[in-house]
Amino acid sequence: MSESETPLPPSFDTQPRRSFLTSASGIAMSVGLVAGYGTFATMLGRFVYPTAAQNRSWLFVCTIEALALGEALDFISPAGVKIVVARQGAGTSSEDFLALSSVCPHLGCRVHWEGPQDRFFCPCHNGVFDRQGNPISGPPRASNQPLTRFPLKIEAGLLFIEAPVTTLACRTDAGASPPGTPTDGVA
Amino acid sequence: MSLRTKHVIIALLSAAFIVSLIFVQWMEVARKQQEAGIGKHVAVIPANSQSCVECHQKSSPGIIDHWKGSTHAVKGVGCTECHVAEKGDVDGFDHYGTHIATVVTPRDCGRCHKTETQEFIASHHARAGNILASLDNFLAETVEGSRVPFNPHSPTPGRDVTLVNGMASVDTGCKQCHGSKIALEATDGSLLTLDDFHPGADGKPTNQAAVAKIKKADNGRPLLHASSWPNTGIGRINLDGSLGSCSACHSRHDFSPRRARQPENCGKCHLGPDHPQKEIFEESKHGVAYRDLLGHMNLDAHKWVLGVDYTQAPTCATCHMSGNKNNGGKVTHDPGQRISWTNRPPVSMVMDTDKQGEVVKETDPAKRAELIHSTWQEKRTAMTNVCINCHTENYVQAFYKQYDDFVINYNEKFAKPGQKVMAVLKEQKLITPQEFDEEIEWTWFYLWHHEGRRARHGASMMAPDYAHWHGMYEVADRFYMQVIPQAREIAHAAEEAGNAPAAEAVRKVIDELLARPEHQWYEEQKKQPKTAVLRQKPPVPIQDVAQP
Amino acid sequence: MGRFTAWLYERIPVSSEQLAELTNEPVPNHLKRWWFCLGGTPAYLFVVQIVTGILLAMYYQPSATTAYESIRYITEEATFGWFLRSMHKWAATLMIAAMVLHQMRVYFTGAYRQPRELNWMIGMALLMATLLTGFTGYSLAFEQLSYWGATVAANISDAVPLVGTTAKQILLGGEEYNERTLSRFYILHAAILPGTIILLVICHIAQIRMHGVTEFSDPADPPKGPKHFNFFPDHMLTELMIGLVLMIILCALSTVFPAMMGPKANPLQTPDIIKPEWFFYVSFRWLKLFSLSFAVISTGFIVAAMFLWPWIDKLLRRITGNEEISVYVGIVATFLLIGLTVWEAVVAH
Repeated sequence: MSESETPLPPSFDTQPRRSFLTSASGIAMSVGLVAGYGTFATMLGRFVYPTAAQNRSWLFVCTIEALALGEALDFISPAGVKIVVARQGAGTSSEDFLALSSVCPHLGCRVHWEGPQDRFFCPCHNGVFDRQGNPISGPPRASNQPLTRFPLKIEAGLLFIEAPVTTLACRTDAGASPPGTPTDGVA
Repeated sequence: MSLRTKHVIIALLSAAFIVSLIFVQWMEVARKQQEAGIGKHVAVIPANSQSCVECHQKSSPGIIDHWKGSTHAVKGVGCTECHVAEKGDVDGFDHYGTHIATVVTPRDCGRCHKTETQEFIASHHARAGNILASLDNFLAETVEGSRVPFNPHSPTPGRDVTLVNGMASVDTGCKQCHGSKIALEATDGSLLTLDDFHPGADGKPTNQAAVAKIKKADNGRPLLHASSWPNTGIGRINLDGSLGSCSACHSRHDFSPRRARQPENCGKCHLGPDHPQKEIFEESKHGVAYRDLLGHMNLDAHKWVLGVDYTQAPTCATCHMSGNKNNGGKVTHDPGQRISWTNRPPVSMVMDTDKQGEVVKETDPAKRAELIHSTWQEKRTAMTNVCINCHTENYVQAFYKQYDDFVINYNEKFAKPGQKVMAVLKEQKLITPQEFDEEIEWTWFYLWHHEGRRARHGASMMAPDYAHWHGMYEVADRFYMQVIPQAREIAHAAEEAGNAPAAEAVRKVIDELLARPEHQWYEEQKKQPKTAVLRQKPPVPIQDVAQP
Repeated sequence: MGRFTAWLYERIPVSSEQLAELTNEPVPNHLKRWWFCLGGTPAYLFVVQIVTGILLAMYYQPSATTAYESIRYITEEATFGWFLRSMHKWAATLMIAAMVLHQMRVYFTGAYRQPRELNWMIGMALLMATLLTGFTGYSLAFEQLSYWGATVAANISDAVPLVGTTAKQILLGGEEYNERTLSRFYILHAAILPGTIILLVICHIAQIRMHGVTEFSDPADPPKGPKHFNFFPDHMLTELMIGLVLMIILCALSTVFPAMMGPKANPLQTPDIIKPEWFFYVSFRWLKLFSLSFAVISTGFIVAAMFLWPWIDKLLRRITGNEEISVYVGIVATFLLIGLTVWEAVVAH
């Protein structure tokens, strides 16, 4: 039992490091340890990574008749973000519609539509976008960042948009406070 | 233990560790799947409706809680999407910054639910409000109440009753199923309905004089008259010209399809002595199976298709509206599309309908052919397509033979004769034009409107007790023991009063009727000598009767 | 490599020989027996607790209104949340169980005797701190048992003479459980107690290195062979094995008996059956057997006796002349401990 044990060394063990690590059993052990604890660490990482995917849901915008060719309407998502929904094609498929976020891709300020100049304008750093949301000038142009497009779909003649629903700004069922807690006192 | 051994053991233990982590991962995936399957029902309050929900959550939490349970809430269809009114709508008003209307009509629902609304508008359900011009209505408005208010008999202790509203019975009774005519109060004390506003195709009023008379509360809200609101009668006649109320079946504010699939939903209106469809369903084997297997019928399924999502038992919706495997799962909101006999009138009629969905009454075959848009056979085929999900073709056809025979027997033996008797009494002016002021009018009403109708319904939906004891037995009793004797009494009284020709005309009609073979058991045998045997002909062998 | 080593040595003047001297302690042969590895087990589990605890703290909210919901989110929605929470819960149980077993090993082998009395007391302090950590941890869940357990415990501390009332008020942040109580429990559980435990563990291990491990002669050892073996890599590998076995056990327990959500705390209604965590069953039962003051004071005396056992043992050995006297006392105490715990576990009240 004790024959193949390493004898007590005067200093660090005298066996060359390499043989310890390159022995088959040593490699097997190292691989096993790394794989085992590595998998565990990955799971911990997944725990920490916020589950953002479920936070979006398909929401009703309008009937497709309500939006004529060339017109746009403002859809305010439950989170309070203004999304511009425009119709650019005469057809009735989702490709004929466009939903642009009004959040500037540069640093997050809100852009607004300037009709006379036919452009979206961001007041923070003078970012400019065309009616398709493509950057024309300013920092978004320099980094070629267009306005975010939101997915659209049409079902039974009704237009739906996939927008975030569970942010703090948005009120949903899940955010109900427990009974007995003081409310905001909003009339 | 040597180092090497330790290395190996650690390697093996690490493998075991990884295996247990894989198991953990598998459990996590299963948990996520189960979570997805449960379907997180997160109600999303759209931006425009947030202030509505905040306030109404406190003032009327039931509405908000119902809405949060609806599919509308998941898809972000909130308060304003349905209640928003346009400037110019007669019942619109400003409410905390939004222009809304209380009453949501099929025009509003139809903005998104187009197909359903179109089918519904074409159906008889939407026309249920037509009762307001019918015999039934006369009963409720005049016989049971009064069209004009009248003075109370004596004081009511504790209440200050100055006038009696005689329309109460029709407002709370008939109209709650059939639908009221929505009315706004006018500044001159009258009522304003669509007959005053004359709404155009866009739902907006064309008669501005009437609009000017709308009485409004201090906050600008037009006042809905209590005789017409609250009301979710299925044939409600709305201010914007649309007919019907979707909330009659899809109760607000959760508009639950699950509820609409169950017979209790239809049973709010389709029950009672004159059309006991709910009771008939419950008696039938269909209803027995339903009650037992309700838990397995997948009522919460998105599409509820017979033969695909469930097969255990049919409900009202199954046969009359829902989709089935044979028709591609297509739902119809027009139950009339599957009905081959209409058993509503005194004499049942075949459901050959014209473009407007009205029964074609034309008798000339050539003219009939021109008018008919949808035949009764087509409708029967649509219904048969439901039946054959559970029953064989032969079974279904034999049932229809039984049903047809039953209806025709009722028609020919009692309904048409009864109509003839009443007609001759009217012609001869032996009964007043006023309905329900003579006993025979009630008697005849019971026969066709109550007993005869429920007999036919019982036959149509396989409820033998309603077909027979609660049905034809009572029809026969009513006919022989009351209609005939009462008519003869009237004739006798006429004769006594000196009006022999009228009496003679009536007696002739009655005698001719009772001389027919099917009635001979009743009178003819009385005319025979007392020693005659009751049965005059040998019994008819069954196979003859079975000839189609 | 040489240049790098020189660069490092200039800034951290510790040679590899000195490092080896410090870390590669000679481990006596008897430590090859598993019974003697019970000290490393709680340490490993403590590391597990710190890691899982920090991660759980990313989602936990220490407020009476949102604590329960945040734990529900962890348990039902966060990816692997149920797993981490269950591991944290089971590792707590295993850690305390391993600590008790370790203490029993130390006790029955008399390893607390001169000159190691101080280390024994450090170990006792570790036990107390760990029990308190377990208690505060469970109180954070804001379930019925959390709330009422905390209330009962605070009232017990109130019964301690002189300092009791003050201790209770500091613990609860008021006369009774209020909106600020959870924050105090949280800071105790997540910062003060773990920090204290880390410091105590350092002292504990330092003491072991200073004194060396008491040597036993084992007849099974060959007479002329080495009496020690290396910490690194031999004992280290043993510890790794134990670590892996513990991970596997924790995974198994977490998946077969995951942590569930009990009913939410209701300050207006005490549940019918109320019990603390299992490691307090013995004191809970003791409390029910005697009056409050007697139970509290007697518990205080027992704990004090445990702390001072090295000296009491010395005294007893001198009085009775029996070298093994502590073993007998220990056997009796163990039976009492197990008996009271099991008793409390099987009855409802």
